[in-house]
Amino acid sequence: MVDFSRVQKELQECNKDVKLSGISVKPKADSLSHLIGTIPGPVDSPYEGGTFLIDIVLPDGYPFEPPKMKFLTKVWHPNISSQSGAICLDILKDQWSPALTLKTALVSIQALLSAPEPDDPQDAVVAQQYLRDHQTFLGTARYWTEAFAKMSSHGIEEKVQRLVEMGFPEALARSTLEGVGGDENLALEKLCSS
Amino acid sequence: MSKRILCKFFAHGACLKGEHCEYAHDWSAPPNNICTFYQRGACAYGSRCRYDHVKVSRVQPSGSSSSTGSVGPTISKPTATSGVTISGMAPVSSAQANLSPSRRQVLPPTIAAWSQQSENNDTLENDLVEGTRSDKPADQVICSFAAAGHCPRGENCPHVHGDLCPTCGKHCLHPFRLKEREEHSRTCEKMQRHLEALKRSQDIECSVCLERVLSKPTAGERKFGLLSECDHPFCITCIRNWRSSSPTSGMDVNSTLRACPICRKLSYYVIPSVIWYFSKEEKNHIVENYKAKLKSIDCKYFDFGSGSCPFGASCFYKHTIKPRLLLQRWVLNPNMYGYSNLLGSDEHNDNEDEHFSFADMDAVRVLSKYLFQPHRGITGEVQSAIDEMKLLPYSEKLHKRYSGDYDEEDLPTPWERSFMWSQLGCDTSDIDEMEFLHYLEEMDKMYSGDYDEEDFLPSERAFMWSQLGYDMSDDDYDY
Repeated sequence: MVDFSRVQKELQECNKDVKLSGISVKPKADSLSHLIGTIPGPVDSPYEGGTFLIDIVLPDGYPFEPPKMKFLTKVWHPNISSQSGAICLDILKDQWSPALTLKTALVSIQALLSAPEPDDPQDAVVAQQYLRDHQTFLGTARYWTEAFAKMSSHGIEEKVQRLVEMGFPEALARSTLEGVGGDENLALEKLCSS
Repeated sequence: MSKRILCKFFAHGACLKGEHCEYAHDWSAPPNNICTFYQRGACAYGSRCRYDHVKVSRVQPSGSSSSTGSVGPTISKPTATSGVTISGMAPVSSAQANLSPSRRQVLPPTIAAWSQQSENNDTLENDLVEGTRSDKPADQVICSFAAAGHCPRGENCPHVHGDLCPTCGKHCLHPFRLKEREEHSRTCEKMQRHLEALKRSQDIECSVCLERVLSKPTAGERKFGLLSECDHPFCITCIRNWRSSSPTSGMDVNSTLRACPICRKLSYYVIPSVIWYFSKEEKNHIVENYKAKLKSIDCKYFDFGSGSCPFGASCFYKHTIKPRLLLQRWVLNPNMYGYSNLLGSDEHNDNEDEHFSFADMDAVRVLSKYLFQPHRGITGEVQSAIDEMKLLPYSEKLHKRYSGDYDEEDLPTPWERSFMWSQLGCDTSDIDEMEFLHYLEEMDKMYSGDYDEEDFLPSERAFMWSQLGYDMSDDDYDY
């Protein structure tokens, strides 16, 4: 059983200094065991300027078991799968500690973005590129940030508007868009198939 | 005369009045098993009561002497003739028996049950007055109202008002009982310190559940779990949960789960405590208290010698062996000669000769009985002890000792000494025979099966174990 009173406290604590850290956590739906985290791309990295959405699922044993986190936004990074968004980070696996919180875990992920560990890769292709052709890596990472992680509030509103015009309810359109990281085509695909 | 009845507080080891207690602090005194409700005429249990329904001619002096004024002259005749009267039981009048318990409580329960049969109870009243009267100031009872905070009778109170305790602010210090005063001040200060510590611990938060530990809903949760190696606060539930959580996704028990969630320093045990500490001394105090408490509890793994404890000598719990179990184990597996084997440890095997096995003890017991009752001759028991050859290795050992540098210290048990002396042709009457017989009795009790560890005082127990060759010195905990 997830300790929801602790999760609630964590959310309050985290959302107190959103402006300062840029990191926020919000429940995805009504349940507190499925959340969406947002982290800004760290400065002086190819991810600067991007906003990355992270899907957080709390297992029953939380906080004694690590939360399951993966990127919803597509990222070009040696330790993050470019396909699934899976994150390779020790504190989310064997180095988890119940004194860590969702926020500290997200801060760690943010730090991972600025300091990749190509020797312990999640995505071998990206890791190889990082090691052998660093310039291309930086270019790709920046392009991906530009393409997938830049969703200015204006852009999102337009996309939602367009989906609403196509006949989808606004709330659903917005959540689906958020769910696919702001990609309008993917959202449309998902909306149509569901 | 007033100290005829065993003090029930003393019986539980908790009488604070010491020598000033109105009741006897003597185990030979009969326990007070008299039904007080029967004395007042209304025991709801009737003949089924656990306590004795007997007349007492003398009521114990007690604080509730205010009700004595109404005893005596206000005898009301029972409405119906008395019913069943079994000797020693309550004569229950049929009218009374028909009353519901609630109705019965309304009746003023001031008339002794037997007096309802219109007996004279002058003796009761006279003795009462005698009982409450006292000459020595130390024997006077202090006013319990004043001790609890406020006496409504104030200056007119017939009882002594105690002096003000500076710590708890109550008039509960007896002016003439110095020992009691000291005792009270000591416990009172201890309580006060505890309360202060509680107050300071109030704001400490558990780093896992992020709640104030002492504000948790249930009492069981309002405890800290102290880690032996670092000073990070957790509630006992959280830290135990973490340490016992099943290692998922490759978490290592030894490096991750036993580490402090914050600083990752390894701690091998968690100490539960209702208060948090603010200095190293306070922490040590809590830890020592905890260990001392565990030391008094029998280890469930060791199970009085019939199990095996994975923690061995470093176990926090008490490792004691029931002699009968030890004997049984020996009988089942005689090859395991020597007590160290019986204990399941290999540490003492090298110096096994230093100790005698349980079988030897058994034989010595039989023999020593013979030594003290020579007129009985060699009984079947003695013969069988010799027949079973149990005695032989023992005598050999003794002879070996005898031929070498014999030191009385080497033979700690009376049996061994008596045996030695008899071998030497000495007069065994030197030994305190009574003391010896007492031990024999105890031993017999153990063998006969109704042995209960509770029967012994700790010192006696220690002696028993030493008699059995159990080494008490390896009971310290070193990590």
